[in-house]
Amino acid sequence: MSFGRFALKRSLQGVGVVWGVITVVFALRFVTPGSAINAVAPLDASQETRAAIAAELGLDQPLYVQYGQYVFDLLQGDMGRSYIKGQEVTTLVFERLPATVELAVAASVVAIVLAIPLGVVSATNRNEPVDYGATLLSLGGISTPNFWLGIMLILIFAVEFDIFNTSGRGVDVGDVALSVVNAEPFVGTLLAWLAYITLPAIALGTYFMALITRLTRSGMLDELSKGYVQAARAKGLPQTLIRYKHALRNTLIPVITVLGLQLGTLIGGAVITEAVFSWPGLGTLVIESINQRDWPALQGSLIVIGTSFVLVNILVDVVYAYLDPGVVND
Amino acid sequence: MPTDNDDHIDRRTVLKYAGTAGAVGLAGCSGNGGDGGDGEDGMDGGDGEDGMDGEDGEDGGDAFELGVTMGQMDSGLDPQDHAETNTEIIVGQAYEGLLDRDKEGGIIAGLADDWERTDDGSVRFTLRDGVTFHNGDDLTAEDVRFSIRRIVFEDVGIASPQSNDLGVVDEVTAGDGEVTVSFEGYNPIAFQLFATNGEIVQQSWVEENGGDYINRNANGTGPFRVTEYNSGTEVLYEPNEDYWDGAPAVNELRMSASSESSTRVNQLLAEETDIVTNVPPNEVSRVNNSDVASINSVPSARIIFLQMRYDVEPFSSQQFRQALNHAVDVESIIENVLNGFGNITAQPTLEGHVGYNPDIEPYPYDPDEAERLVEESGHAGVEITLETPIGRYLRDVDIAQAAANQIDSLSNVSCEVEQREFSSLVQDVTAPDIEDRPHFNLLGWGNGEFDGSQTLTPLLSSSGALTVLENEELDGLLTDAEATEDPDERVGILQEANQLAHDLAPWVFMHQQFSVYGVSSDISWVPRSDEFIDPDTATQQ
Repeated sequence: MSFGRFALKRSLQGVGVVWGVITVVFALRFVTPGSAINAVAPLDASQETRAAIAAELGLDQPLYVQYGQYVFDLLQGDMGRSYIKGQEVTTLVFERLPATVELAVAASVVAIVLAIPLGVVSATNRNEPVDYGATLLSLGGISTPNFWLGIMLILIFAVEFDIFNTSGRGVDVGDVALSVVNAEPFVGTLLAWLAYITLPAIALGTYFMALITRLTRSGMLDELSKGYVQAARAKGLPQTLIRYKHALRNTLIPVITVLGLQLGTLIGGAVITEAVFSWPGLGTLVIESINQRDWPALQGSLIVIGTSFVLVNILVDVVYAYLDPGVVND
Repeated sequence: MPTDNDDHIDRRTVLKYAGTAGAVGLAGCSGNGGDGGDGEDGMDGGDGEDGMDGEDGEDGGDAFELGVTMGQMDSGLDPQDHAETNTEIIVGQAYEGLLDRDKEGGIIAGLADDWERTDDGSVRFTLRDGVTFHNGDDLTAEDVRFSIRRIVFEDVGIASPQSNDLGVVDEVTAGDGEVTVSFEGYNPIAFQLFATNGEIVQQSWVEENGGDYINRNANGTGPFRVTEYNSGTEVLYEPNEDYWDGAPAVNELRMSASSESSTRVNQLLAEETDIVTNVPPNEVSRVNNSDVASINSVPSARIIFLQMRYDVEPFSSQQFRQALNHAVDVESIIENVLNGFGNITAQPTLEGHVGYNPDIEPYPYDPDEAERLVEESGHAGVEITLETPIGRYLRDVDIAQAAANQIDSLSNVSCEVEQREFSSLVQDVTAPDIEDRPHFNLLGWGNGEFDGSQTLTPLLSSSGALTVLENEELDGLLTDAEATEDPDERVGILQEANQLAHDLAPWVFMHQQFSVYGVSSDISWVPRSDEFIDPDTATQQ
């Protein structure tokens, strides 16, 4: 199979998965207890009012009509109108997406910056105190629930020591960029941005950091035991060069693959962290929509989360196939 | 991305880190000071009631910024297309109705400065002169007519979830500076309804703009103008300098939400916001022990009860229902579960509401009497289940568990709790057929009209939308109350209905819920009993 055909095949599979997501998400509303009408109508609404609201929301149509209409609208980029907010879902979702992506990327950066050096140091100092320390840290990172960590971070660093903001997203990365263009105080804006994003990024990135540390450590140990490393040592190459130029490079290939896949997970998994930090992303929209039985908004959010996950996966696969042509023929 | 985001860059943070004059510029200065709120005008009474005296005018302090953090944001800014409190709080800063309420729930003037009942039972509102919408246009009688019709008639734009909130409106006519609303039949609580509901929009503005626009922008007559709307995140306001009652003292208002109660409390303690809603009882001491904020609570217009269906065993027995009232120690639940934030109740109508009967005493906690009544009812040994929503009312699950434990500790009844997701429980509670409704469940009911009939009729009359009772005598009293034109006579009938409801015991009468706010020490603000938040009345300390 050529690389082009492989890429096309993976893309078509991706479309199939997205269609599956749409269908499952659409079906969810019919197996979930509680009707959207109860979220819109007051408790003492008459049956007539309920019927009028149902008609206005299109809920009085047969299922297949609702499904057909939904898919038809989606193909034209229309995710419908929120039952509760009365606004276009496309606008609602794409307003929220940048905040979630920003948080996911920041969490990844926190994770990578800490995890890779930690993993390397741990592997090159195997069975020494620093290795045990790193192992303990990553064990802690994996087993700490991120909502608890989030609340603790807020209590200590925002309320007690007053270093960061407790919650919200007053400044975004766009503001930091704009401050340069508009000749506003760049450092002030950057620090203000950091005051908002640091704690949620740590809370969200900790699990990920622990995972990458373990992965880097074991990958590094694996590489260091290989023949080429021993040959290099025999040739008298400096340890630093062997470790950081040759072994680390090979270790990073699988790590980067996992990073790519995890970015999709972070976008979907930010729900709890966003709730704790009132971060105005897709996660809080998902929670609001579930609480309010706002199906169009929930469907829109889940479809966007699902699609970004599929996209990242395809991208990782394709890049991997490009780097390692053997994958194409498997 | 909004370009004027600078306004809500946290000032404290910027100043702390940058510490430069430039940073002050970036953060945005408070700008010109507001005039401060003028005192409210004295209100003329209508409806044959005595004229109400206006509150004394307060001198406004210096201009200041105020943040309010709630549990959830609005569901769009269309003031007529929602049915919940959070949205009402957010749109209610920009929109107003014909009548309004004071902090205690009394009716005061709004966009109408006079109101009266005509000979044929219709109600006539005389509009205040000189009121303008935020876009600068004058308020007209046609706008008022359109607004009322948009709420009650489905063919005027939307199927509004508020269509029942103004009574059964027959027609609305606009005259010269006045509007007359006629009803199908006599509507004894017309003014109560208009004081709580019926926000006024501008006809041309609504007709020219689509639903999406109306839900993201506001053009009301209220004390604040919306300057920025970030759906689900925050809404920013500036004072309406042309407000008929004088611009509010608050110079910049920010309303936002955090679903996590601990996050709200942390925001308050980190001085990032000034008012937070629904502080859970276990966080109260943390707020009160801080130097920067304290708890401010007020009995709300919401009553919590355990309702029992009259038509299924064992709840079909009045003795059994009364037994459960004796079995539950409400005082101890208020003390131990709610940290004192609750008032015990004995009837469906809350103290201060029209029709409250002051002579009714709560059922005393008496497990022996409860056991005796259970024996007498013939249902000894019965097993029952109490269904409760999760997280809908202040500590609902804990309250249900405590009550169920107390019932279970009777020697001849066993009781367990079933936790239900609220939306799913509501589906059952509002089922068209009483046979499909739960047998025994916890529920809360907010009565924004402050009138007993607004609880008794939907919940306990045979035709009520959520009823668990069918009793001819009670139905008769409620029908009489609806047709009675003399307000005093009507109060008497409602008091009788409350006494009957107490004796019939269709509910285990629990408590009146409190609204518990955390309030920054920087401001002075008194909460209201109807759960609405009115930052225009806040002043700087």
